[in-house]
Amino acid sequence: MSQNAARTETMVLNMGPHHPSTHGVLRLILELDGEVVVKATPDIGYLHTGIEKTAESLNYTGAISLWDRVDYLAPLSNNLGFVLAVEKLLDIANIPPRAQCLRVLLVELQRIASHLVWLGTQAIDIGAVSVFLYCFREREQIIDIFEMVSGARMMTSYIRVGGLAQDIPEGFEKKVRDFIRTFPKRIDEYETLLTQNQIWRDRTVGIGKLSAEEAIDLGVTGPILRGSGLNWDIRKSHPYSSYEQFEFEVPLGQNGDVYDRYLCRIREMRESLKIVEQALNRLPKGPVIIDDRKIVPPPREELATSMEAVIHHFKIYTEGFKPPVGEVYVSIEGPRGELGFFVVSDGSAQPYRVRVRPPSFINLQALPRMLQGRLLADVVACIASIDIVLGEVDR
Amino acid sequence: MELLSPLVPILIIVIKSGVAIFALVTAFAYAVWIERRVMARMQSRIGPNRAGPFGLLQPLADAVKVLLKEEIIPQDAKVPIYLLAPAVSLVPALLSFAVVPIGPEIEILGQKITLYLADLNVGVLYVFALASVGVYGIVLAGWSSGSKYSFLGALRSSAQMLSYELPLGLSVVGALMLAGTLSLVQLVEAQKNAWFILLQPLGFLIFIVSAVAEVNRAPFDLPEAETELVAGYHTEYTSIKWAFFYMAEYINMIVVSSIAVTLFFGGWQGPFFPPAVWYFLKVAAFIFLFIWLRATLPRLRYDRLMQFGWKILLPLSLVNIIATAAIMVWQG
Amino acid sequence: MPPFENLPTDLVLQGIFLLVAGLIVVAAVAVVTLRNIFHSALALILCFSAVAGLYILLEAPFVAAVQVLIYVGAISVLILFAVMLTERVMDPKMGARNEQWWLGLLLTAIAATGLGAIVGFAPWPLSKAPIINDQITALGKEFLTTYVLPFEVASLLLLMALLGAIIIAREKEGG
Repeated sequence: MSQNAARTETMVLNMGPHHPSTHGVLRLILELDGEVVVKATPDIGYLHTGIEKTAESLNYTGAISLWDRVDYLAPLSNNLGFVLAVEKLLDIANIPPRAQCLRVLLVELQRIASHLVWLGTQAIDIGAVSVFLYCFREREQIIDIFEMVSGARMMTSYIRVGGLAQDIPEGFEKKVRDFIRTFPKRIDEYETLLTQNQIWRDRTVGIGKLSAEEAIDLGVTGPILRGSGLNWDIRKSHPYSSYEQFEFEVPLGQNGDVYDRYLCRIREMRESLKIVEQALNRLPKGPVIIDDRKIVPPPREELATSMEAVIHHFKIYTEGFKPPVGEVYVSIEGPRGELGFFVVSDGSAQPYRVRVRPPSFINLQALPRMLQGRLLADVVACIASIDIVLGEVDR
Repeated sequence: MELLSPLVPILIIVIKSGVAIFALVTAFAYAVWIERRVMARMQSRIGPNRAGPFGLLQPLADAVKVLLKEEIIPQDAKVPIYLLAPAVSLVPALLSFAVVPIGPEIEILGQKITLYLADLNVGVLYVFALASVGVYGIVLAGWSSGSKYSFLGALRSSAQMLSYELPLGLSVVGALMLAGTLSLVQLVEAQKNAWFILLQPLGFLIFIVSAVAEVNRAPFDLPEAETELVAGYHTEYTSIKWAFFYMAEYINMIVVSSIAVTLFFGGWQGPFFPPAVWYFLKVAAFIFLFIWLRATLPRLRYDRLMQFGWKILLPLSLVNIIATAAIMVWQG
Repeated sequence: MPPFENLPTDLVLQGIFLLVAGLIVVAAVAVVTLRNIFHSALALILCFSAVAGLYILLEAPFVAAVQVLIYVGAISVLILFAVMLTERVMDPKMGARNEQWWLGLLLTAIAATGLGAIVGFAPWPLSKAPIINDQITALGKEFLTTYVLPFEVASLLLLMALLGAIIIAREKEGG
């Protein structure tokens, strides 16, 4: 701006924490010049619930249920991340193959469910109202499956240290097969409504660009990183839970804009579906949890016949198991990116400290960079493309 | 009786105005109901179905609800203007319906009654003039609310409506040239042989696109872009004042549909049914189109919208006028 | 107006004229005297609308519609726009005068004298010709025959204004 130009004032717009498209309670302080964003400052902490601290006063099994509430759109991924960390702490390596396979299956379904919420909100933020409702229709199918296995629609807490809480019920396979059959057509439907829509492309192509270098510098992970063209997927680079046995591709973008992130996630849903199908086809028979009475409670019928079982049962439910002193960090590829759990044990039955590496929190750092010099209308598109869950950002 | 006879024409006009306003308000209520039901079907939902059969009493329930809502006047509001704005928004919308012809003359109790309030010889201009006055409702509401979201919504809408008035006005010029009149009644009569949609397809396309923008409907609903500006210019309005804006939007939609029907689809004309039925059917088809668009398309971005208006629609409408003129001259 | 022929038309029209004329004067005075410039702008809109009313009284609906469309609907919105976007302007404490007041006074005096002279010295013949029914066609024909030169000059002026606006906007973009 030239020196002699008339003095123009910027306007400070407080967006959130109660605003329809800040995905919860994100507050953004926007400095606007007309409708152009000069500076964006995210303000977080409105959903701080002290979950990490709470975990220190629960035993390891009890703490599993907390992580459902961290990222309430992907509870199973959070269950898995924490459980894997505790298993590493306990040095358990012989998780039954059936449990491993089911874990993969459920976590991939979870990825689809989470991406569906993202797609719906991204669409409604750009004004395509119908897609939002279509996405929730499909998500309902997945949630029904979760309810079937765990009894809860969202707060599943289904994955346990050593395996799973219980085996899958009858009819599970049919429901998943139904989903596998119908879902690809539904994705095609979304793509007709959005991918080929000129207005959609106008609103997303070239918006919120993040180059690969910037993405690395900011530490972003997940579809945002891959949208910028970097091939980094923990499922491939550090396979866990038998991911190495599955065939799938990691979709990559090129430009790192909202559109590429959108395409990445859409294709990721298709890949996840492939994994689900493979898992269902090869699902091995056998137990779903290890047979270690120091960690896993004995089966119910043994309690009537074995004194030892009663003692184990009593010990586990009153006190819990005690991992050896040490600290571990385990990360998995959550729907939003690298979801890491750092667990410190002091040898007692409660974790000494649990620290989550929340992908939403770290990805949110990229927001001011994406918004610089963009229009107000792009702000919502960018927030949605980061796919934040405020429960995870604030914990 | 002799003494009263000069008052009869006035009485007829008063009654007709009353009926028109009542009909418009009812039409608004059921346009909302249709929108909610149709959108619900398109989005695999059910929609309102509790109040009365098929939820037909839902508009009444909504009206009661809206009336009973708390009146809130924001602290920073500039009060007289803040209260004036909803009326400024609604009144032009109602007034512009005066020239819309629903049918030709009919006879009731020996009195010849026309199915329109006025046959102005500048009917089309009258509608556009009132539409441009309607902008004030939005501008004043946005400014007087004392809220930044409202303000941004007002800025957007005034720019948008000003920009789209131009192609809107120019797009109908072709049809006006063919009919050789500005009167909406005569325009309908001019389409006895061929609807102008056949002669003016480009003009109609430009008209309908600009019309969607002019009445702030999706995908051009930027002034109230929910996800960006909360509710745009009427963010700070509650209760009946808010309902006024809502009414203005839907009545504008009905008026614009009526104008489209009158200018391009032969107005009340059609076989078998009485004229008024044809008029309602055609308008309903347009309302359905508006709803359909809203359920399908994402929202345009502000700068794109302006570019589209100025760089595509405006030149196209000029081309349409020149082409129409050339053909008319060529054909003599 | 056949339906109303039994009413004292002249009296009613006279009354309406006085009302509209009074409104114009009051609104015009309000424009220059109100302290809040936003209110001034609103008064200006009222003034423009009242002028449209005057045209309707003169049975010139086309001019009235155009008056509303252009002056009320477009120009005044832009004025409001400018006022709303410059926050400081709306401060009522800001003086309504600036250092150029004498220039304004001079120009106003010249204009007022000129107008007064026209009103005073022009003969005001009453046209006996009947009111033309198809005004728009007649207007269009006159514009492109008798008054083609003023019409084109006005168009040129508007074109220049348009170009000027583009140049000003461009300059800001580049700098």
